[in-house]
Amino acid sequence: MSPALLELQGVTKRFGGLAALGGLDLQVDDGEIVSVIGPNGAGKSTMFNVITGLYAPDGGNVVFRGLSLVGRPPNQIVKLGIARTFQTVHLFPNMTVLENAMVGQHSRTKGRVLATIVRTPGVREEERVIRQRATEALDFFGARLSGYRQDQPAFVLSYANRRRLEIARALATQPQLLLLDEPTAGMNPTETLELRDHIKRIRDQLGVTVLVIEHDMRVVKGVSDRVIACDYGRKISEGTYDEVASDERVIEAYLGRRHEEIG
Amino acid sequence: MTTSETADGTGVVPSRELGRLEQLPIRRIVLTILTIGLVVIVGGGILKTLTLSGAEHLGWAFWANLVVIGLALGAVYALIALGYTLVYGILRMINFAHGEVFMTGAFVSFFFAQAYAASGFLNRSPWLSIAILLVVSMAVSTGVALLLERICYRPLRNAPRLVPLITAIGASLFLQNTFQGFFGAEPRGYPRPDVLSGTISIGPVSFDKMDPVVFATALIGMFVLNRFVQRTKTGRAMRAVSEDREIASLMGIDVDRTVVVTFVLGGLLAGIAAVLYAMTFGQVSATMGFLPGIAAFTAAVLGGIGSIPGAALGGLVLGVSESVGPYLLLSGVHVPSPFELRAVITFSILVLVLIFRPGGILGTGEAEKV
Amino acid sequence: MNRAAFVRAVKGGLLGGVGVIYFALVGMIERLDTLSIVGSVELSWLLILGPPFIAAYVLARPRVEAGEMRSASASRALWSGGIVGLVSWGLVAIGVGLVQWIGIDTVRSVFRSVSPTLIQILTLHHPVWPGILYLAPIVVLGALAGGALPLLPRRVRRPIITASGVVLLLGLLQQLVPPALDQLHIQRNWLYSNVTLGLSWIGAIVAFAVTFAITWFLQDRSLRDLVAGGPGARDRPGAEARVRTVLLVGWLALGAVLLAMPYLVGPVVARDLGFVGIYLLLGLGLNIVVGYAGLLDLGYVAFFSVGAYTTAVLTGGQLNTYKGLAAPILGAHLNFFLAIPIVVLVAALIGVAIGAPVLRLRGDYLAIVTLGFGEIARVIFGSTWAKNLFGGSAGMTHITDAAIGGYSFRTELHFYYLALGFCALAAFVSWRLQGSRIGRAWNAMREDEQVAEAMGISTIRYKLLAFAMGGAVGSLGGALFAVSIGSLTIASFTIFVSITALAIIILGGMGSIPGVVVGALILIGLPGVLTPLQDYQLLIYGAVLIVIMILRPQGLVPNVRRSRELHEEEVQQDAWMRPVEEGEVPVARGIEA
Repeated sequence: MSPALLELQGVTKRFGGLAALGGLDLQVDDGEIVSVIGPNGAGKSTMFNVITGLYAPDGGNVVFRGLSLVGRPPNQIVKLGIARTFQTVHLFPNMTVLENAMVGQHSRTKGRVLATIVRTPGVREEERVIRQRATEALDFFGARLSGYRQDQPAFVLSYANRRRLEIARALATQPQLLLLDEPTAGMNPTETLELRDHIKRIRDQLGVTVLVIEHDMRVVKGVSDRVIACDYGRKISEGTYDEVASDERVIEAYLGRRHEEIG
Repeated sequence: MTTSETADGTGVVPSRELGRLEQLPIRRIVLTILTIGLVVIVGGGILKTLTLSGAEHLGWAFWANLVVIGLALGAVYALIALGYTLVYGILRMINFAHGEVFMTGAFVSFFFAQAYAASGFLNRSPWLSIAILLVVSMAVSTGVALLLERICYRPLRNAPRLVPLITAIGASLFLQNTFQGFFGAEPRGYPRPDVLSGTISIGPVSFDKMDPVVFATALIGMFVLNRFVQRTKTGRAMRAVSEDREIASLMGIDVDRTVVVTFVLGGLLAGIAAVLYAMTFGQVSATMGFLPGIAAFTAAVLGGIGSIPGAALGGLVLGVSESVGPYLLLSGVHVPSPFELRAVITFSILVLVLIFRPGGILGTGEAEKV
Repeated sequence: MNRAAFVRAVKGGLLGGVGVIYFALVGMIERLDTLSIVGSVELSWLLILGPPFIAAYVLARPRVEAGEMRSASASRALWSGGIVGLVSWGLVAIGVGLVQWIGIDTVRSVFRSVSPTLIQILTLHHPVWPGILYLAPIVVLGALAGGALPLLPRRVRRPIITASGVVLLLGLLQQLVPPALDQLHIQRNWLYSNVTLGLSWIGAIVAFAVTFAITWFLQDRSLRDLVAGGPGARDRPGAEARVRTVLLVGWLALGAVLLAMPYLVGPVVARDLGFVGIYLLLGLGLNIVVGYAGLLDLGYVAFFSVGAYTTAVLTGGQLNTYKGLAAPILGAHLNFFLAIPIVVLVAALIGVAIGAPVLRLRGDYLAIVTLGFGEIARVIFGSTWAKNLFGGSAGMTHITDAAIGGYSFRTELHFYYLALGFCALAAFVSWRLQGSRIGRAWNAMREDEQVAEAMGISTIRYKLLAFAMGGAVGSLGGALFAVSIGSLTIASFTIFVSITALAIIILGGMGSIPGVVVGALILIGLPGVLTPLQDYQLLIYGAVLIVIMILRPQGLVPNVRRSRELHEEEVQQDAWMRPVEEGEVPVARGIEA
């Protein structure tokens, strides 16, 4: 049995007096699509931030492909093969759609200063490859992000397209593991279902492992191999969608306990 | 299409390894080297200075004098720093032109002081004349501060942070040169009433008569300001706006008016500092605000920006460091004229504080969340 | 006219009057009186009429009233213009009266710039009374002009403004254009008067008319379309190639002009241009740090001084001591061009050293700390402690004239070429960096640092790179400076150098190479040819910074490389929403009938 691709071991993170993560254990195997669900404030985005190096955990370890990620700067973690999107879309608004995607390719290329200034054939070839890979990442979403759209500044995109661009940008980093933070938030039902299929294609076609934070249960049900439920910065349940959905602790976390049962 | 490692060679597999350089914890290494270097330099310098012998030995009277000078200087810095810290707390911006707010008060009060000295009024009723000078200086400084707020800062309140900063730099330049154009570029001698002239000696330690006055004024100023911010309704409004401007306005606080009050307070304090500084150093010029402005900002950061006691503490610490530091660190290694290099000490303190403890002395020790 | 409008007009007049009094007190009116623009109208009149004009203009512009955008009616605009003029004049008159009453000498003991000459200017060289009355109609007319301007339809207004600007520019460049025309053997006595040195009336009228006509013609047409061969021709086949050919020819022509410049304008102006080149290098370097990477560096003079002193030390510069000349401790006698790579390398390393501590700092803190480094550099270079390295406060001298063989680069003509070469190199490097992966990384970092880091960009690396490259370019400026004068004193390396460089890129447009050129030409070139302005350079820089940040933060020649086409399209998309002014026919572009 191969070791897990990503493993969180007892990760804790405090902000002042608040424990956002209180000993989180989590595991993702290569090739899986795992969903993370839980009420707001359960620490899910914090977990992403810890994995990707934006925060340093106060305790515990994050292991990816056998390497500890703790203490590494975010750009190294991208290089190692983890990419992410954000809960609120964070594009580079004044750069074009294509340039946003090209930024994704940054960690996969070099770029010596002198060579860049002189524009050696090597550098020109690298630019061509960057452009090609970025276009491929954008084409993943079909006509929505291709053609004339690619030269428009990112701020003109519609909300759903912005979310798609963020995912495309993350895909352009050629990751092994993709972290999606509430990718369908704010989308209408059609867009949501479309994205659900895209997520599956990311794993099926591109071979990228996906860890998704989601609130929309249609999506969770539709894509997940495994679901993990969190509350108060801890894992409270794990299993297939049906198992987790019927778990009492999960229901309690979302809805609270029935009045008769309390004290 | 991009492929994963499990695909069978139909695409290029990206290298997902880190370069050699990246595997080193560079930041920690550099910080460690820096710390060691600092300890060596500072400690070594101090040691060598204190072990000077014979004719070169610097007795405790020497140091005591420097400390007194430093405290007085620091008190002035504290008064100016309070203005910086207030504006930063409310608007999250450094009022780069605050040094000029300080200068304008001093300069305009100079004309009154000159007239009073010439007519003898200065020495007949010294306390009354000083009071008038303070009023004039405070009025001018506050006026300039209000103009700055209204013309340069308010229109840009929602602009990206670079914009008001550059505007402030422009305003600083503009004010300096306006005063040069109005009144001439050469420094002017600022008179002092006889009652405050001369030195007092306690044993081998002697200090200028102005020094305790300055020190006391700064302490009182800080205390009064602190009470104001903690106890009054306006002070509470100021604290609310500094926490969250939008929510404060939703709670019915007039943000514009609160900002104005903040600038007024900063201007008043700067005006007081201006007269004290001018009398202590005996001089005003159009460019006198630049270095004290930077020093005061350093003091505010040193003590913890946004904190009133911090600004006061930072000012005193910085004043003493500037005064004692050059001699303490550099006499031992026989650096000639160490006093020239005091700007280096000021800025080094600033840089080190920002690297190691960005929240300042009274801060929480954590880096401010960006 | 209703009461509110009246009050506003009065306020405007007061502001206008304050503006004029400001210019008077700071001494600019008197100083600029020595320069004639057109005929015998001096530049000082721009300052006397300017504030009321602007006040009246602003008041007459369309404003939002009761939720609607309303233009001022002709009568209202003119009335308020008149009131503005009258009130402005009144304030000035009161000022003059006060000066007379208190006694000009007493006033002068406080306000240094109030002199009899100033009063004479304001009273049109007549006795104060009734001289001051003669000023009134002039100011009122000026204000009325300002009030009338917004009334004109845009098609007329814009050419008028442009033509007036050109006339003003030609007048200001009176030290530059006539000698150039002379060198080219073009008859110019009709254009510039030999008496006043400014434009002659005929010359002014002709210049105005020609510019007006050109601007009018080009108004609704895009230059690109014209070149391509007619409206809408842009999308036709072959147009692209034609445009490209024209652009290429344009660039070649520009290059030829630049190369021939010293012969066109003469040695004096060539020297000034060389000096502009030094600051242009500083601007280009700072543009990398501030414009590309978004790091506000206020201590850029550090690189300038490093470049200058390193060059001096390496090329045989001698220390000035009270005993005569002495060799610096680390001195060498390298050829200038061999020393340059070392200078650049040293500066790049210093850049990394400066960048390292400030990596985590945000805008305001970064600015102050870098300012500190600039000051530290100045203190160290000028210190008694480092006297044997750099000469202390007495400085260094006998710096090389960058000779190759016997060909010295210090003469005006040759220095120009040296500066041109360095600037071209710096511009080329900047341009290449901007459009590359590195430039993209800087863009991303500037837009959102945390997200850029999260996308794999090592912000540490790219910040340090920005400082290193910026420092390298800045040091070239320092090297040029050392060569140009041949000696150095620490007095040349103050914070004002940093601020000037900043003003250049702010005015021109951060991140835009043509912008930096324009900024340098305006802020360094103009004062170079307008000696009366030199006393007020820093004052003007400060005002420029404030005004640009409030009115047009993107600068004069903004960087719209990516979105230029797009911006046009977008603007055209929204153009139909703009209120149509009388006489204007909305032009549909890009849609063929």
